Amino acid sequence: MSALLQTLIFGLATGAVISLSAVGLSLSYGVTRFINFSYGELLTLGAYLTLVAVSFGLSLPLATLVGMVVVGVVGVLLARLFFDPILSRGFLALLVTSVGLAFVLQNFVRMSFGSTPTRFPLPLMRPWRLGELIVPKVPVLVIAIALVTMLGVHLLLRFTRMGKMMRATSDNAALARASGIVTARVLATTWFLSAAIAALGGVLLGMTQLSLQPIMGWSFLLVVFAAVLLGGIGNPYGAMLGALIVGLGIELGVAYIAPDYGYAFAFALLVVVLLVRPSGLLKGTF
Amino acid sequence: MALTAFLVGLLTLALIYGVLALGLHLQFGLAGMLNFGHVAFFAVGAFTSALLSLPPAGSEAYLAIGGQYQLGFGLPVPLAFLAAGLAGGLLALLIGSTSVRLSSHYLAVATFAMAEIVRSVLTNEAWLTRGQFGILGVPQPLRGEVFGAASYPYVYLALTVVVVALMLALSVRLTASPFGRALRAVREDETAARALGKPSPGLKLRAFALGGVVAGLAGSLWTHSLGIIHVGQFVPIITFQVWLALLLGGRGNPVGAVLGAVVLMAITEGTRFLDSVPFLEPLTRRNPSFVPSLRYVIIGLLLIAVVRFFPRGILPERLRPPPVEDRRGDTA
Repeated sequence: MSALLQTLIFGLATGAVISLSAVGLSLSYGVTRFINFSYGELLTLGAYLTLVAVSFGLSLPLATLVGMVVVGVVGVLLARLFFDPILSRGFLALLVTSVGLAFVLQNFVRMSFGSTPTRFPLPLMRPWRLGELIVPKVPVLVIAIALVTMLGVHLLLRFTRMGKMMRATSDNAALARASGIVTARVLATTWFLSAAIAALGGVLLGMTQLSLQPIMGWSFLLVVFAAVLLGGIGNPYGAMLGALIVGLGIELGVAYIAPDYGYAFAFALLVVVLLVRPSGLLKGTF
Repeated sequence: MALTAFLVGLLTLALIYGVLALGLHLQFGLAGMLNFGHVAFFAVGAFTSALLSLPPAGSEAYLAIGGQYQLGFGLPVPLAFLAAGLAGGLLALLIGSTSVRLSSHYLAVATFAMAEIVRSVLTNEAWLTRGQFGILGVPQPLRGEVFGAASYPYVYLALTVVVVALMLALSVRLTASPFGRALRAVREDETAARALGKPSPGLKLRAFALGGVVAGLAGSLWTHSLGIIHVGQFVPIITFQVWLALLLGGRGNPVGAVLGAVVLMAITEGTRFLDSVPFLEPLTRRNPSFVPSLRYVIIGLLLIAVVRFFPRGILPERLRPPPVEDRRGDTA
């Protein structure tokens, strides 16, 4: 019983990280309509830049904020440089460009930081004990941070002017422009938000996996894709639901079916979803 | 002398990538399918060929090469080569029959995911592949008995040239054939092609499976050229290097596919000389993965640049001009 609960807690933490990253990816998909293969590298970049900020003496939470802002700006710049000029060229050009960008970013990180795994300076945290049950603090913390951030995104989308403009642009860009929305600015804001969320996702991923590697974002990307497609691509709320299923699926699969396969369970889930219900569980706009 | 050896190795590798690009030419160049998991067919072909041709475990030859693997069938290499094509084709048939109907984006993600599943299986099923340790002593045809170690790279290059020439000729025929034309019709406008009675899912599935056969054969060529096989050779970047080769050479043109592979390899393997660039030396001493990473950065930038500034490639696809009647209608 206790073992199952432990598995569930780790599954929920993994699910929370996937969920957060999937929300970020959905935001950018919602307004640009292409699957960004370089999104995973923004997670990696976020984690490593946070580590740099820590090395300058900032506390981890403050360093994370710095990492998020820097990666947010980087995300906007990358979109300006690489994606905006070819937005009209169709999805193939965008897809292949995003793959190229992924290799550039990933290996830029490897060139700057080397490929040896490193880790965040997390203080030693004693787990909580609830009778028989031992509850480790890091996964609970990760779940809490992810939930609060997603609540923030929800409030932003539902109740702010910018959020409404983002939803309008996602639903129908031409109509949004005709109604006087400056879609270019909405696009830039969405890229910033999406990249900043990725950076936070990267830090949380580094905390749950205990180590940072230049390849971490790239290997995590497919898991995020699985969640996004399962939930209905372009819909952040669907992404949250999909991520929960994928996260629990990975941890339960590892615990009860085959320990060596890890992420492969997510890929299998992804393939099944694509075959059975390619449109995902929820509708594709927010 | 060292330079000739380097060039021979480079050309062999480039031609093997050319075969991979021919496979992708069938799937993407002709049929327009976004296969982001090409490396899976390559890997399965390579392992099939290696395991079938390795001497059986426990045999004298096994002891002679100090083998530590568990499966080996001792078949002749040409037979293993054909079986590799079959294995690649069967895997493509399996993947294609479930996902060929998916639309572009989804097909890309699905094939990418399936390639990762294949890699995961090859990594974890150590009884089959020895996992991260890999297998040494994969037989090299004609080596030892007929040709010595010094001349062998030239012999293998000649062998590769023959195979590539044959496959290129077949691809050119196929591209111009009614089958090739039907595939291009599906690529340009699937609805219109179906309206004209072309069974598009069946056509796409056949193109996908054929591409898998070709990639499987490339895997066989590759593993016997090296004599070593391990899963670490089959990472996703191979898929995208093949994409780059095809886009660089000109999609839709089989000659372009092979040419693109040769040009790409000349560029990326040329970056090996970065190791000896003096001002990079302090950086490489601090971080041993500096130069290999720089090479991937260059590949990434090349991919972006080709798509953006050179979308038609070196040898663009030649399409037949529309019939004369159409033009007369325009000018009237």
